[in-house]
Amino acid sequence: MAKAKTNTEDYLRMYRQMVRIRTFEDNANQLYLSAKMPGLTHMYSGEEAVAVGICEALTDDDRITSTHRGHGHCVAKGAEFREMFCELLGKEEGYCRGKGGSMHIADQSHGNLGANAIVGGSMGIATGSALRAKLQGKDDVTVCFFGDGATAQGLWYEVMNMAALWNLPVIYACENNGYSEYTKTEEIAAGSIMARAEAFGIESHQVDGQDVMAVNDLTRKLVDRARKGEGPFFMELMTYRYHGHHVGDINREYYRSKDEEKDWKENKDPIIRFRAWLVSEGIATEEEIEAMNAEIEKDATEAVAYAEKAPYPPANEVDMHVYAD
Amino acid sequence: MREITLSQAVNEALAEEMRRDETVFILGEDVAEAGTPFKVLSGLVEEFGTDRVLDTPISEPGFVGIAVGAAMTGARPVVDLMFGDFIYLVMDQLCNQAAKQHYMSGGKLTVPMVLRTNLGATRRSAAQHSQSLQALVAHIPGLKVALPSSAYEAKGLMKTAIRDNNPVVIFEDKLMYQDKAPVPEEEYLIPFGVANVKREGRDITLIATSSMVQVAEKAAAMLEKEGIDAEVIDPRTIVPLDEATLLDSVKKTSRAIVIDEGHQSYGVTAEIAARLNEKAFYHLDAPVLRMGAMDVPVPFSPALEDLTVPTPEAVVENARKLCAGELIHAA
Amino acid sequence: MPHDETSGFRPHDVTMPQLGMAQDAGKIVSWLKSPGDAVSRGDALFEVETDKAVMEVESPADGFLTGVSYGEGEDVPVGQVIARISDSAEDDGAPAPEPAATGKASDALPEGHTVTMPQLGMAQDTGLLVNWLKAPGDEVAADDILFEVETDKSTMEVEAGRKGFLAATLAEAGEEVPVGDPVAIISDARPEAPVARSAKDGGAPPAPAAPVPAGKDTTEAPAKPAAAAPAPKAPSARGGRILASPKARRLALEQGLDLNRLAEAGHPQPFHVADLEVLRTMPSPAPASAPSETPRRLTATCAVDGLSAFVPWAAETQGLAPDAILAGLAGASLGADGSVTVVVERLGLTRSFSVPPGRSLSAVAETDDAPALIVRDLRGTPISTVALGSEQTPVLTVTDAAAGLVITLECAASALDATAAIRLLTEFAGRMEQPLRHLL
Repeated sequence: MAKAKTNTEDYLRMYRQMVRIRTFEDNANQLYLSAKMPGLTHMYSGEEAVAVGICEALTDDDRITSTHRGHGHCVAKGAEFREMFCELLGKEEGYCRGKGGSMHIADQSHGNLGANAIVGGSMGIATGSALRAKLQGKDDVTVCFFGDGATAQGLWYEVMNMAALWNLPVIYACENNGYSEYTKTEEIAAGSIMARAEAFGIESHQVDGQDVMAVNDLTRKLVDRARKGEGPFFMELMTYRYHGHHVGDINREYYRSKDEEKDWKENKDPIIRFRAWLVSEGIATEEEIEAMNAEIEKDATEAVAYAEKAPYPPANEVDMHVYAD
Repeated sequence: MREITLSQAVNEALAEEMRRDETVFILGEDVAEAGTPFKVLSGLVEEFGTDRVLDTPISEPGFVGIAVGAAMTGARPVVDLMFGDFIYLVMDQLCNQAAKQHYMSGGKLTVPMVLRTNLGATRRSAAQHSQSLQALVAHIPGLKVALPSSAYEAKGLMKTAIRDNNPVVIFEDKLMYQDKAPVPEEEYLIPFGVANVKREGRDITLIATSSMVQVAEKAAAMLEKEGIDAEVIDPRTIVPLDEATLLDSVKKTSRAIVIDEGHQSYGVTAEIAARLNEKAFYHLDAPVLRMGAMDVPVPFSPALEDLTVPTPEAVVENARKLCAGELIHAA
Repeated sequence: MPHDETSGFRPHDVTMPQLGMAQDAGKIVSWLKSPGDAVSRGDALFEVETDKAVMEVESPADGFLTGVSYGEGEDVPVGQVIARISDSAEDDGAPAPEPAATGKASDALPEGHTVTMPQLGMAQDTGLLVNWLKAPGDEVAADDILFEVETDKSTMEVEAGRKGFLAATLAEAGEEVPVGDPVAIISDARPEAPVARSAKDGGAPPAPAAPVPAGKDTTEAPAKPAAAAPAPKAPSARGGRILASPKARRLALEQGLDLNRLAEAGHPQPFHVADLEVLRTMPSPAPASAPSETPRRLTATCAVDGLSAFVPWAAETQGLAPDAILAGLAGASLGADGSVTVVVERLGLTRSFSVPPGRSLSAVAETDDAPALIVRDLRGTPISTVALGSEQTPVLTVTDAAAGLVITLECAASALDATAAIRLLTEFAGRMEQPLRHLL
């Protein structure tokens, strides 16, 4: 049946995207640890289902704003490995001509308004994008990714308030991975996170962030309604990050146990789960999946090699783009 | 030529640009029916509707952030920040986000927004509603800063600001909203980075911004009676700054005083004076002086407040000393 | 008889000239003229020895050599008058009166040690000479009392202070003499004509005006410096540093104005452009005489033209051309370490020679290089004296004299210093007189 076939493609693509994110992050991690990547970077590994589940429900016209932990969103919204690795290494062919780096990576062609190094810094931008859509009578939706730690930023409440007042087509997606840097979420967020959004009269949902299908289903529904002007909405996605806050930071055992990590990795991994489901539903065989993984691995390796050899932007670009023409 | 107030001039500029380009919209506190407490925006909501003249809650960071996002995705917002003093609240959205998006994205994202706010003391509004903070934002690469000195400048600079594809901060002198000046009926724009020589002179250059342009002009009139011929220049925008005109003037007169209502220390006057020093050093027959507001929070009491800002008399005294070759400070 | 200053003829002093940078005296080697001789301007009067060479000093004017006051073998300080050129041979030879001299016949005083009126007391500035205890011509011992002076307290005895003869008394008993003024002269040798004068005659040339006699208390407070008109507490140049605006400095530089002069004049600093006007109207300082800028002209005489006899012999035995020989002698006289290019101008022809170091005239060869020295051979022409001015290159001009040759060296001060000029001319003249000396 056509529909099932379409769904199959969708499922396979969702799987592929998650693997691409994981693969990208593994490579990025290696680049960083082998001192080939300058600056700071933050791994998304473990949260793939969140980015993929949501972004698969969006078109290129829909916008997202990302966070410092933004590689996952970037890949999920359609970015290519090569340009991403180039950007992370500060090369000219990067999405931002090397000027943004990991923390500011943006891909306008696919509607990614950019990662942001300021926690909560893009909440205003996302809301503004939604306002523009409404004012201009467009039906694109903006998804605002942020972490549980960002719920401590005053800006969120200001913009949620206005989003709610003006019925803006924005979906606030809180990736609750249980930790705000090195502190457990319950120690930095009083009361309930969901209730915060609900206090503004914003319809709020909580979902298992490691279940890509659940995330995707929910997102589709909310996006649909947002396009009709029923927004804003709030999603709290319960997830987990495998790595530290940023690569090379403190020993995680200071703030969480190895057992906990093991539990999430072995029992709740979104890729393992989805893979099992695909196989059990007959959508793909193990061999096909292995082949897919291998291909993605190869793509990544090639992209890394390419990026390593790619040139830096010329010196005269240092003072370009301060002002637009 | 007809004369209109600065308030009317700003209103006209906004109305004309909103008619011209439907992506232009206004947001801020009390901008709609109230037309802002300064009544600058009266009538706009009637013409353009609440979709394009949006009242916001008292959430400066929030609505400036929203303006940034709207600008990044295809709109041209004009944000009304009720008092220049509130600029501290919006610094992250203005300076970390708006100012840097174009650069951080390698030129792919633009933020064509205008932040309309004000400056100026002597209104008895006390320390937190009387500041002139143009130096703060002029310091940030990626922002442009305009300082209209009359109704004529206000209209021309506002139109240019709205059409500029960069984040522009315009400071209006809140004391001048009811001051009239000749403003053409026909459309005109004032380009950024072009200074206006308001009065030609041979003996000393007075460079003044915004509220201080009148002060300089009054001082020039007083100096004329003493036989000192002062040249008065209004830079109009400090970012970009028309250095060439300022330098030409100083090379002609060999003396300069820079007057701005920001605080005396670490401000606009220091930057301009430094540039004159660097680039016209061998033409200087006297040190370049800075005159700004006193380095004190603006006091409430009328007896005290007026002491804190440059006056024509103070300018005259300094100009006299410079022309006489008198030492103002230790040699 | 004394000269009549109104006759219109000024006697010319003949002084010991400046000989070289560090030299401040010269020894008269020999007089070439005798007192009373008629001399022409430019005639050599005497020879003086410097530490490098013997130099001739010429007569500055036509006239008669008179007033010769230094003899052969004597060392004379530079600038000292040695003789005079007068309009008659019978001049008594007294040196021309010094312009600054006041008082008549002041130079008639015998030589000796001057005894002055001593400091008598704090507030006293003259002393009454009561009486002399010695007479002019008397021999005195150092501790002999010469005269008595009355102070306001008592009468003071003044000793001779040195052994000798009282050659002159310059004040009479009863006269008031200012403290520090000369009162007597004690000579080493018995004076032939002891002098007795009164203080009113002027005594010895009075001490130059102004300085307060030594030891006298100046009771006057120093005059207050005029207050600077504008109040700016402008400090004067600190450690020699002048404070001026950048524009003032630039304009001063461009217009060749010296801000130091403004500072020295005490003009208040810092200087601005307006102050340059003051500088412009200041009288320009007398240009420091730069003796080194005056072109040099020296002349030497050769008693005989030794070269004219030498040339035929050299042509016959060595095959040397006259001009090459001339160039070789001149080049060698420069005393340079390397080759020297010498141009010889004679009879309208110019030839250029390279003279290698060493004395071999046969090694002199023609060349095209620019010369370091030019020799103008004017022998056989009617020209006897040249004063052609200095050119870029030093020029030795050889002219016939009544007997022998006159060789004139002219060059810019910067081309040869005095010592080098003297040496060049001395050597060349020597060679021209006795070429064989060159070969030794």
